[in-house]
Amino acid sequence: MAREYDFVIIGNGSAAFSAAIKASEITRNQASVAMIGMGPPGGTCVNVGCVPSKYLIEAAKAVNFQRNPGYPGIKQNSPDVDFHALIESLRSAVVKEREERYVRVARSYPNVEIIKGFASFVSSDTVMVETGTENVQVKGFNFLIATGSRVKIPEIIGLNHTGYLTSDSIWDLNSVPESIGIIGGGFVAMEIGQALQRLGCKVTVIKQHDTIAPGIEKELGYELMESLKSEGISFLPGRNVTGVHRKGSKKIIEAASAGGKDIVEVDEILISSGRTPNVEGLNLEKAGVRYSSMGIQVREDFSTSNPLIYAAGDVVDQKYKLETLAAREGAAVASNIFDHSSKSMDMHEIPWAIFTEPQLASVGYTEEEYRRDQGKAVARTIPLNAVPKARILRQERGAIKIVVDSNSNAVVGVHALSPYAAEFIMEGVLAIKHKMTVKDLVENSHIFPTVSEGIKLAAQSFTRDLSMMSCCME
Amino acid sequence: MENMAERKVTMRIYGMTCDDCVASVAGGLKEAGATGISVSLEDGMAVLTIDDSRVSPESLAHIPVFTGNSRYRSQIRRVD
Repeated sequence: MAREYDFVIIGNGSAAFSAAIKASEITRNQASVAMIGMGPPGGTCVNVGCVPSKYLIEAAKAVNFQRNPGYPGIKQNSPDVDFHALIESLRSAVVKEREERYVRVARSYPNVEIIKGFASFVSSDTVMVETGTENVQVKGFNFLIATGSRVKIPEIIGLNHTGYLTSDSIWDLNSVPESIGIIGGGFVAMEIGQALQRLGCKVTVIKQHDTIAPGIEKELGYELMESLKSEGISFLPGRNVTGVHRKGSKKIIEAASAGGKDIVEVDEILISSGRTPNVEGLNLEKAGVRYSSMGIQVREDFSTSNPLIYAAGDVVDQKYKLETLAAREGAAVASNIFDHSSKSMDMHEIPWAIFTEPQLASVGYTEEEYRRDQGKAVARTIPLNAVPKARILRQERGAIKIVVDSNSNAVVGVHALSPYAAEFIMEGVLAIKHKMTVKDLVENSHIFPTVSEGIKLAAQSFTRDLSMMSCCME
Repeated sequence: MENMAERKVTMRIYGMTCDDCVASVAGGLKEAGATGISVSLEDGMAVLTIDDSRVSPESLAHIPVFTGNSRYRSQIRRVD
């Protein structure tokens, strides 16, 4: 006999939780919800993603600030780092965040039942859940598939035998390796790479692309790479890793490029080759849900090819894999099911950030993307040293770029490599969402001196020579 | 032909907590053109009949008693 629920959620990450909470709010805790998941509540972000990585990044920033205070007259200091104590505090922070934001929250909703187990569809409205001790049939009127994603492991000869770390397992380290080879570029490589380098590790990034990742403003990506190089990180772009093996206590990475072959000797290997959606084992064929290796295909309202089954978050075949996006999509699904809304997401209004120092934050089209889609684009880039606050901070490396539609002057992309870029990119989000022009950006007072004033200055650069302007003028 | 247009609709109702709620939901459904309305507080369900040449089953989830500031929401579960 199957247990029956109004809403069955497969997964227990951010999309799953926000969907369960929103469904409860709309129905005044009267929708019966089952949330089925295997791993710790909260999914990637709180357990092995944003929370631990930003903790490590901020700790490494504190170390770096002592080494490089940045102002004349302040003595440099080389702090002793007890990495074991640091990583233990990181683990405690993760547990605390998970308990506070997920475990406690789940207990607050009497209509939500947590089922620990692995679900796979046996028909279009029923899943079989393996709990480890028994198999339970769970039937639902609506389903949400929110099983997230996992680290994509490239097929490299010798990798399994040699051993490697991922963004999941790096939090098990109890000491900083003397050296690490990061295979793949992207967000994890930049963030964790900089943090480890600052904590005393020698970091080498071996990657296929010549910039950080496809789809970002190349000029800002190059500038970030230059900034990281200036801290001592080595980049080997344009390389294919052909094999890895052990040599005594060391690990050897062999990489090939048009120019020849590289041999990199390191203590550890970190894989940073992107993420892949968790669709295996769900038996989606039984439910009539279409998917590919890129993820589950959804309509604008996040319903799948089975109209009673929805999908949200990293498991969806979509441009971004972000916790913030997953949580919004989960809530949108609940609204679409229980409030009969028609909520959708426009990927061009979704901001993202790389939490390096300086930070790289972005929303909307790159200049190249918009030109490819619309035939033409207009863009302006200002160097960060044109922003007074950046000069005061003595952190002048970076740039701010705005892309506009050449007919309407509406802002379609904002990109910043700058201190606090992840904080002030929201102005770009609102500008794109509300179809503001660069004139609209200029005609709003920005606090002086802030780095975010750079958005206004970048907007002004469309019509003015910044070097001919006095402070704060419109 | 008149019988052909009659449909029995089963709905899941969310947000009801008392007999007044039952009356409000039943009243809202009646205003929308439903007849033979039976609303269960215990099950959170409603069963009713409509003439689908005048009212589509799908439209019932969007009537005023189930939208906007109303505390009730609904889903169509079955149409016979």
